[in-house]
Amino acid sequence: MIRILYIIYGTAVLLGLGVAQYQGWSLATVNEVKNVPRSVRDNPGSYRSVYSAYHHYTGGK
Amino acid sequence: MSAGGPTPPTKPQVRALNCPHCGAALTLRSFNNAVTIVCESCHSILDAKDPNLQVLQQFKASADEKPLIPLGSRGKIRGTEYEAIGFQRRTIHVDGEPYSWHEYVLFNPYKGFRYLTEYNGHWNDVSTLKALPEQVPNSSPPKVRYLGETYRHFQTAKAGTSFVLGEFPWQVRVGEADVVTDYVSPPRVLSSEKTGSEVNWSMGEYMSGKDIWRAFRLPGDPPEPIGVYENQPSPLTSDTMSIWVAFAAFALALVVMMIGFDLTADKREIFNGYYKFDSNKRGDASFVTDEFTLSGHTSNVEVNTSTDLNNRWVYLNYALINVDTGQAFDFGREVSYYHGYDSDGSWSEGSANDSVAVPKVPAGRYYLRVEPEGDPGYGVTYYTVNVKRDVPQYSLYALALGALLLPAILLTWRTLSFEHMRWSESDHPPIKWGNDE
Repeated sequence: MIRILYIIYGTAVLLGLGVAQYQGWSLATVNEVKNVPRSVRDNPGSYRSVYSAYHHYTGGK
Repeated sequence: MSAGGPTPPTKPQVRALNCPHCGAALTLRSFNNAVTIVCESCHSILDAKDPNLQVLQQFKASADEKPLIPLGSRGKIRGTEYEAIGFQRRTIHVDGEPYSWHEYVLFNPYKGFRYLTEYNGHWNDVSTLKALPEQVPNSSPPKVRYLGETYRHFQTAKAGTSFVLGEFPWQVRVGEADVVTDYVSPPRVLSSEKTGSEVNWSMGEYMSGKDIWRAFRLPGDPPEPIGVYENQPSPLTSDTMSIWVAFAAFALALVVMMIGFDLTADKREIFNGYYKFDSNKRGDASFVTDEFTLSGHTSNVEVNTSTDLNNRWVYLNYALINVDTGQAFDFGREVSYYHGYDSDGSWSEGSANDSVAVPKVPAGRYYLRVEPEGDPGYGVTYYTVNVKRDVPQYSLYALALGALLLPAILLTWRTLSFEHMRWSESDHPPIKWGNDE
């Protein structure tokens, strides 16, 4: 019984992996924004990125 | 347990006798095969071979034990009907703690004697061996072989008889003690009982209480087994093996998928640009790239950033914007690379290059909006932005492999825990973890 359940589970994992690879899933954090105005093309500064206010690491030992 | 072959009577019948000590009625069920018989009323052990039933021993039972299988009950064990005719309690002491189990003597006039043992709800169907097991030389812990199967030493202990009832095909006495040695190969156990120079071997096979109840048609439910018994078969061992076989097949399929996707993936470079960012310059640093076309089915877009950073950082706000629909994929990437030398030697941290896969980007015309940030005073950073379409993500394979491994590892852990519980009761306990001693 456990073996059958595992085979079903494993098949689902591989099918999920196939779909993920085909559709191009990734683990990256990306924010999707709708209806960005065309004017951004001519005035890039008018776009407000959600990531621009993040604290930036200043690194180094 | 010691027994000779049965002497089948010409006409099976129950003999009615009386105890010479208290006069209570006795029932002799195994005919002239019984060597001793115990009076249920006064606990006298009588010589069944003596026509006058000479009293061999009297014992005081602190509390009467009631056999779970009442004497006189009949049940089919492996296709043969046996009658329960004797019952005894035997006790060993380990670290001063008494551990008791019960033994039932079963009799069939044509097949002879058979035994059932019960400890904490765990049952064994026991029969005497016709041949001697062989010791496996130089084995540690000691092992014996019997009929091609190897049995591992489990425990050696001095077992005393502490209560008896019914009939026995040997000279039973309360207080007598044998050295009992068990060797296990679940679901079987080989036991040797040494009394003086005499050694008797028997083989037990694990049975569930439910099977015993069904065989003897006993009312109610059997006692629930407590803990793990020495020869109790692990309910998970075969599942664990088969799951690892299935895992190997899935891992192979995963490798085939990886090769297949890698060969068929587009991985084409769509865009490449070389840029300069001067952090000393005031004002808006954002800009947009030229348009580029992403074709094919919905897939990922890999954005690679290569910089000339040296003990500095730069933060790049990216937006991948669809020219026609206005849909944007907004993401930020910090690129930092530091290195140096201190009392521990040379060190480095981060990387001057970065790569990110933007998931599920539909086909269309796109451009990138890029807004670099950096500490004022850092000066000029040169960097390249490279865009590729449909790049296989190996992190997803790693995730899938982990998902496939997890159930197999959990099941293996449960199997090992079961074996750990089994052997912790033996003379060869597994190594204890922690400071619980």
